[in-house]
Amino acid sequence: MFLRMILGAVTRQKRKLLMMACAMALGISLATAMLNVMLDVGDKINQTLKTYGANILVTPRGAAFLNDLYGVEEGAGVSDKYLLESELPRIKTVFWAFNIVDFTPYLDAVARVNGADVPLLGVWFKKRLDIPTGESVDVGIINLRSWWDVRGGWLKDDDTDGVMAGSAFAARHGVKIGDSLAISLKDAAGSEKFTTVVVRSIFHSGDKEDDGLLAPLAAVQRLTGLEGKVRRVEVSALTTPENDLARRASRNPHSLSRQEWEVWYCTAYVSAIAFQIEEVLTDARAKPVLQVAESESAILQKTQLLMLLLTLLSLACAALAISNLVTANVMERSTEIGLLKALGATDGQISLVLLVEMLIATFIGGALGYVAGLGLASVIGHSVFGSAVAIKGLVIPIVALLVFLVTIGGSIPAIRMLLRLRPTDVLHGR
Amino acid sequence: MNILELNDVSMIYGPVKALQNISFIVQPGEWVAIMGASGSGKTTMMNIVGCMNKATHGSVILDGENISRLNARDLTVLRRDKIGLIFQQFHLISYLTAVENVMIAQYYHSMVDEKEAMQALERVGLAHRARHLPRQLSGGEQQRLCIARALINYPRLILADEPTGNLDETNQNTVLDIFHQLHNEGSTIIVVTHSPEVAAHAQRVISLEFGRLVSDMPTSLCA
Amino acid sequence: MTRQAMFFRIVVNSLIRRRSRMLVALLAVIIGATVFLGMGALYYDIPRQMGQEFRAYGANLILVSSGNDSTLRLEDAKRALALLPPDKLVGASPFRYGTMYHNRQGLTVAGADFAAVRKTSPYWQIQGEWPQKDDEVLIGTDIAEHARLHAGSFITLQIAPPGRRRITKELKISGIVRTGGAEDAFVLMPLSGMESLMGAPGTANVVEISLAATGEDIARFIETIRAEAPGVTPRLVKRIADSETTVLSRLQALVYLVTGIVLFLTMICVGTTMMTVVMERRGEIGLKKAIGAENRAIIAEFMGEGIILALGGWLLGIGTGYFFAQLISMSVFSREVTLPFFLVLLTLGASLAVTILASFIPVAMAADVEPALVLRGE
Repeated sequence: MFLRMILGAVTRQKRKLLMMACAMALGISLATAMLNVMLDVGDKINQTLKTYGANILVTPRGAAFLNDLYGVEEGAGVSDKYLLESELPRIKTVFWAFNIVDFTPYLDAVARVNGADVPLLGVWFKKRLDIPTGESVDVGIINLRSWWDVRGGWLKDDDTDGVMAGSAFAARHGVKIGDSLAISLKDAAGSEKFTTVVVRSIFHSGDKEDDGLLAPLAAVQRLTGLEGKVRRVEVSALTTPENDLARRASRNPHSLSRQEWEVWYCTAYVSAIAFQIEEVLTDARAKPVLQVAESESAILQKTQLLMLLLTLLSLACAALAISNLVTANVMERSTEIGLLKALGATDGQISLVLLVEMLIATFIGGALGYVAGLGLASVIGHSVFGSAVAIKGLVIPIVALLVFLVTIGGSIPAIRMLLRLRPTDVLHGR
Repeated sequence: MNILELNDVSMIYGPVKALQNISFIVQPGEWVAIMGASGSGKTTMMNIVGCMNKATHGSVILDGENISRLNARDLTVLRRDKIGLIFQQFHLISYLTAVENVMIAQYYHSMVDEKEAMQALERVGLAHRARHLPRQLSGGEQQRLCIARALINYPRLILADEPTGNLDETNQNTVLDIFHQLHNEGSTIIVVTHSPEVAAHAQRVISLEFGRLVSDMPTSLCA
Repeated sequence: MTRQAMFFRIVVNSLIRRRSRMLVALLAVIIGATVFLGMGALYYDIPRQMGQEFRAYGANLILVSSGNDSTLRLEDAKRALALLPPDKLVGASPFRYGTMYHNRQGLTVAGADFAAVRKTSPYWQIQGEWPQKDDEVLIGTDIAEHARLHAGSFITLQIAPPGRRRITKELKISGIVRTGGAEDAFVLMPLSGMESLMGAPGTANVVEISLAATGEDIARFIETIRAEAPGVTPRLVKRIADSETTVLSRLQALVYLVTGIVLFLTMICVGTTMMTVVMERRGEIGLKKAIGAENRAIIAEFMGEGIILALGGWLLGIGTGYFFAQLISMSVFSREVTLPFFLVLLTLGASLAVTILASFIPVAMAADVEPALVLRGE
C-alpha cells in the first residue's frame, strides 16, 4: 500500500515533482561543476603560470658572480666552470620528474660581428631526449619563452648554420631574415675561428637577449671548443605553494628533522625539486627563481582559496534555495496531508510518504544534475584553460550527501508545520 | 421581464452528455430549487447559470443578456454585476477577516464601503465576528459570511450551491431563515441541492435526472 | 475607503497572515539578492584584486635613459611617473649600478630605494634586516656563501669613483638577500649611500615600475610617457607583462564564468520557489474570479505582493550579499571589496524582475482557468 501511495503520488503530482527535480538538477549541476573545477583549479592554474618561464636555475657550483647586467664584461670574475650536457637527461629522473615540465641548457659566448662584440647564446630549441627510464621527451627553450615575438619561426636544433637575431641587434646592424653574417669567435684556447651563419628569424623578447644572437647549443659548443659543456640550465617545474617548512629547507635542508625532511622531500616544493636536481648533477647548484616561484605560490594559493570560498558559498546558497523550494513544495500539499490525516494516517506514515516522494524526485534530479554539471565543468575547462577539467570521484559522495541533506532539511520543517494543522482546518479552507 | 431563461440548453463533454435539452424560465422574486442526485447534472447547471461555464448548445439569457455570446471577460463582468454566489465549501479568503471578505467583493465590483459591509454582516448576524479570520469562524458562521458576501453588490440573482451541505441542522435552519427573509424582500433565489428537505423551502422545484429535466412544478404540488 | 486602500489591505494581509509561506518566498528573494549582489561585487572586483596580486611578479615596466648615456636623471623619471594613474601605480624603484671590488674581485653594487623595492619586488627574501642607514648594505646570498659573510658582519669595499681618488670603505651587512636571480650576486645599498660614495647625485640606471595594468593599458601608458616625458624611455618587461596578460585573462575568464553560472542558476532556483508559492493559490484565484474579479485585478494583487517581497528581500539581501563579498575579499585578498552603487540598483532590478516574472507566469496560467473547475476541482 505504501508503495502504491508513493507511486500514485509520483505519477499524479508529476508536474510539481518534475519542477522539484529540475530545480535540484540545476542546483546539483552547479555544485558538481564548482566542486570539479575547484578540485582541479590548482593544477590548471599551475600549468597556466608556466607561461612565466623557468622557476629553477641550475649553475655550476662555485661559479663566480657573472657580471652580465650590461652585456658582457670580459674577465671580471667569469670562471671556467661548466655543467655536463650528457648529464642533463638525469633531470627527468628525479623523484618529482613528472612535475618537471621543461628545461633548456645555455652556453654563452661573445662573437664579433661587423667589428662589434655581440653576445651569442647557445640553447636547445626542441630537443628530443632519451631519458634513462626508457621514455623520450621534447625539451627546449620554446615553451620557456612564451612571451617572445618570433618572426620567421623557431630554429631547429640540427640547423647548425642558422641563428636567430635579437630585434635590437637586427635594428642596429640592419639585418634581415635570410641575411648571411660573417662572425668570429675566440675559443677556449684563445685562437680565433671564423664562420658564416644565416639569420633564419628575428625575435623580440623585451629583455637583454634582444641585443644578441641565439643559436643551437651544438653550434656554439663547436665554435667555442666547449663540446659537451653548458653554462647553466633553466628548469620549469610544477610546484606546490611554499610554506614555512619549505622556506626553512630552502635555506638549509640539513636543519630539518628526519621526519620533516621526508615530508619536504616528498612534496613538490620548488626547493625540494631544486635539491633533487642538485643530487643528480655533478657539482651543480640549483636555485629557485623566487620572482617566479614565490609569486606562483601566492597566486596559486589565492586562486585556490577564492575558488574554495566561492564554491562553499554557492553550495550554501544552492542548498538553501533548494531546501526552501522543497519547503514550498511540501507546504503546497496541505490539503492532501489534511485528507490523509482525516483518513486516519499517522504522522509517521505521512512524513514517510512525503519524504520518500521528495527523495525520489530530488535524487533523479540530482543524478541528471551531476551529468549536466560534468558538462558545465568541461565547458569551463575548455573555455578557460583549453583542456578538460579532471573528473574527481570524490564529488559523487559529496553531491549525494548534499541532495539528501537538502531534501531532508527542506522537508522536515514544512512537514512538522503541516502535521500541526487540524485536518478539518485544512479540508475546510482553513 | 424574466430573470433567467434557458432555451434547449445542452452541455456535452466529448461522449458525456452532462445536460440535454433543458428549458425553463425564472421570474423575478421566485425561489427555485434545482434538485437531483449526484451525477444528475446539478453542478453543470449551476456553473452555466452562474456564468462560470458556457453551454455547448442552446441559449441562456440572464437579465436580458444572452451569455452564450459573451467572452470570458464579459462573463466575469456579468457575473459580478448580476449574481451572488454561495458555495457548499464557503470558499472564503483565508487571510482576510470576515468584513474584508465582504469588502473584497465590493472591491472587485466597484467602490469599497466598510459601513455597508458591516451592515451586510449585521444582516446575517455576524457583526460581532467582523474582525475574525475565516478559520476562527464555525461552519455556520462561514456560510453566513458567504451569504453576506453574495448579497453585498445587490445581485439580481442569488445562486447557492448546496448551501447547507456542510452544516448541521441548527445552522441549516439559520441559513434557510435568511433565505426566507431575502425571498420576502423580493430577491430571486436559485438553490442547487440534493436534499428534498432544503428544496421544500422553495416555491418551485426543478428535478434533474441523468442530465434531463424530469419535472418542474411548484412545491405545493410535491407530496 | 478607496479602492487603493483596499488593494493595499488585501496585499498586506496576504503577506502577513500567510506568514510561513511568505517567509519561504522572502527567503528565496533574500538568497537571490544575496547571491546577485555578492557575486556581482566579486565579479566586478576580483579581476582588479587579481591584478594587484600579480604585482608579486615584480616590475612590468622599466624606464631607461633615452640618451646614449646609460644614466637617467631622477627628476625626469619623476615627471614620467606623474603621468601614470596613482591608483594603478603599485611602486617605482630606481636602481643605480656600479662596480666595486672586494679582495680584488669585481662586484656589482646596486643602489636602491628599499622602501620602493619592497613594493615592486615583494619576492625578495631577506635574512636579517633591510638597511636603515647609508653605510649599511645587503649582500646577495652567493657572495655571502662564497666570502663566508653573514648578517651583522662587515664587508670592505674598494671604490674607484670616476674622476676621484680610490677609497676603501667598510660597510655593515644588515642582511643577506636571496632572489634566485641576478641580485644573489649583488651588493645592495641605499641610493643615498651610493651617491655619497660614487658622486653624481640624482641619477639612476633604471627605474623599475610595477603597474597594475595589462595589455593595451600598459601600451597606452608607454605611449604617454614616450610622448610627454623627455629624458626617459619606457620599456615593457615583456616576460612579466605578456605572461600576466595571458594568465590574468584566464583567471578572469574563470571568475566570470563561475559567477555567471552561479548567478544564473540561483535566479532560476529562486524563480521556481516563487512559482511554487504562487501555484499553491490556484483555488484562491478561481474564487476571486467567481466573485467577480477580472484577470487584471488578480494579476495586480499578485504583482503587488511580489513587489513588496522583492523590496524586502532586496533590502535584506544587499546586507548579506555585501557581507559575503567582504568576507571573501578579506580572507582571500586582505582587501576591502568595493561595491559600486549601480550594482545595488541592479540587484533591485533583478529582484523585481525575478519575483514579478515568477509570480506572473503561474498567475497568468491560473487566470485562464475556468473558475468553476478550480472551485469544484479539488
